[in-house]
Amino acid sequence: MTAMLETVGLGKSYGRRWALSDCTLSIPAGKVVGLVGPNGAGKTTLLHLAVGLLAPSAGTIAVLGDRPGSGPAALARVGFLAQDSPTYARLTVAQHLRMGGWLNQGWDDGFARTRVDELGLDLRQRAGTLSGGQQAQLALTLAVAKRPELLLLDEPVASLDPLATREFLQGLMEVVASHGVGVVLSSHQIADLERVCDYLVVLATGHVALTGEVEALLASHRRLIGPRCDPSSLPANQTVIEASHLDKQTTLLVRTDQPVLDPAWTVTPVSLDDIILAYMRQARDAGTPSTTRLAVAR
Amino acid sequence: MTRFAWLQSRTQTLTTLAALAALAVVAAITGIRLSHLYDSLVAPCAATDACGLASEQFSAHYSWLQNGFELILRLAPALVGIFWGAPLLARELETGTYRLAWTQGVTRTRWLTTKLLLVGASAVATAGLLTLTTTWWFRAVDKVGANRFGLFDRRDLAPVAYAVFAFALGAFLGAVIRRVLPAMAATLGGFAFTRIAITAWVRPHLLAPVHKSLSLLSAGRFGFTATGNGTVDLVARGADIPNAWIQSSRIVTSAGDAASAAQRGAFINQYCPTIAHPSVAPGQVGKFPGDPSAFETCRQQAAGVFHFAVTYQPADRYWTFQWLEAAIYVALALVAVIGCYWWVTRRAN
Repeated sequence: MTAMLETVGLGKSYGRRWALSDCTLSIPAGKVVGLVGPNGAGKTTLLHLAVGLLAPSAGTIAVLGDRPGSGPAALARVGFLAQDSPTYARLTVAQHLRMGGWLNQGWDDGFARTRVDELGLDLRQRAGTLSGGQQAQLALTLAVAKRPELLLLDEPVASLDPLATREFLQGLMEVVASHGVGVVLSSHQIADLERVCDYLVVLATGHVALTGEVEALLASHRRLIGPRCDPSSLPANQTVIEASHLDKQTTLLVRTDQPVLDPAWTVTPVSLDDIILAYMRQARDAGTPSTTRLAVAR
Repeated sequence: MTRFAWLQSRTQTLTTLAALAALAVVAAITGIRLSHLYDSLVAPCAATDACGLASEQFSAHYSWLQNGFELILRLAPALVGIFWGAPLLARELETGTYRLAWTQGVTRTRWLTTKLLLVGASAVATAGLLTLTTTWWFRAVDKVGANRFGLFDRRDLAPVAYAVFAFALGAFLGAVIRRVLPAMAATLGGFAFTRIAITAWVRPHLLAPVHKSLSLLSAGRFGFTATGNGTVDLVARGADIPNAWIQSSRIVTSAGDAASAAQRGAFINQYCPTIAHPSVAPGQVGKFPGDPSAFETCRQQAAGVFHFAVTYQPADRYWTFQWLEAAIYVALALVAVIGCYWWVTRRAN
């Protein structure tokens, strides 16, 4: 089965600055992927590359087997919701739906009208006068009603209040369940993703810091608490992601496929939050000059 | 895509067409009256070639409307570039809606082609209708004025070609600058610069001009003028060649060389002593000569000694120049359009 998103050595530079570099991913079809990372990590760049708004500076990218944006067929298979949910401020909701019908071969007008109706949007209202949440819903409706095989959503809930966020994600999950589309959803709010994603990509400073199935990630990471020791003394199959030390105690976050047998450690499971944050910190510290790293580590 | 491009541009197009229709009504009513005036005032004297006063009377009619139409004709191409060209792509790029437009099921190339063609066609239609209406309205005035090249950039093809160029330039600058207001300003600047540059540096060299030696008496104005240092000089300007574009004219000797100041001065001193030393009270504007007959005699004598060399483009080259001008601007517009494609498909972001 074709991967829904496959990149090899993908990179994008703006002048001398690399917004994304050496990004290699292979995401199986039908996943709901959370794309996480701090601001400026390259999430938007990756999504714009995946939808063909940007062309790679290095490496290759294939979406559903196509080069992104390479033609009407490739465009039709991918729905995109850009950051801040752009809509035409002077066009009405109804005109947006007509636009969707004119510009997309597979447009599902019945779905679009039903959804807009359910959301309580007034067809005659101009998009510029809708609230942020309503605009996001309208833009999502446009992206979904073109009946794509893959939905790429760039920070769709960043500007929404908690209630609107919940409604938005709920709407998204209904769409996923009823149409079986794959989704890549970026956010810097991890809590939003945990509820909906079954696959995770963590970006930090333009690099892929972590990628994998959420369940597998949860199963393979452990927190170890025990007497103070040197983390490098651990067995080879245990990779230390993060270590912190008190006077007499050491806390480690390790990745391992095997059970931890050493009775000196108290082993506890780790939340997705903690895993993501640990990888982000690791990537940040690796990419920061040593003087600042000292200041950060304190 | 055509329907969507029309949805986005119809307000501006329909508003402009309404304004044009109003202008056409005014032009039709006044144009017909102007036509009757020409028939009654100028046509009868045209046979006898003695229309000086009648022409002046006729040309003074509707002078406010003449000025208004000329102003609109001057501004229209720039306005098309500023208000239709510059925002065409810049608004989508500035507000971020390009991310919506370029991820629908229509390729960027088709999106751009449709937008450029539809709004470009509106621009051509607007400029075309405006120029057609006004060129028709001005036809009698222009006939009387006999200065076709003087109105070159406000009649016939030229304004349409300017509008096409301004539109394409605006679209390109909008794509590059990505913000509406700066793109509008840059379009105005770029358009004005191009117009000035081509008018000043390109148009005069498109066709080799005709050189002709005329009698000084056929110059539009020929006489004597007091120079700053108290002497008197010979001057001749404006050859009377109807509808021609006079590029330069000068007083030459019978050998064909430009008459130097010394030669002209020597002539005046020798043949026109009353003119050479007018008696002017200090602080007064010199009125010379005191004797009109001496003035006329001197003119005749000067015409015998000197000639008037005129470099000009004859009236029958008017349409050649119109087509050349249009071709240059359409070619420039094409370059800008290619720039749009390049920027939107390759360089965007």
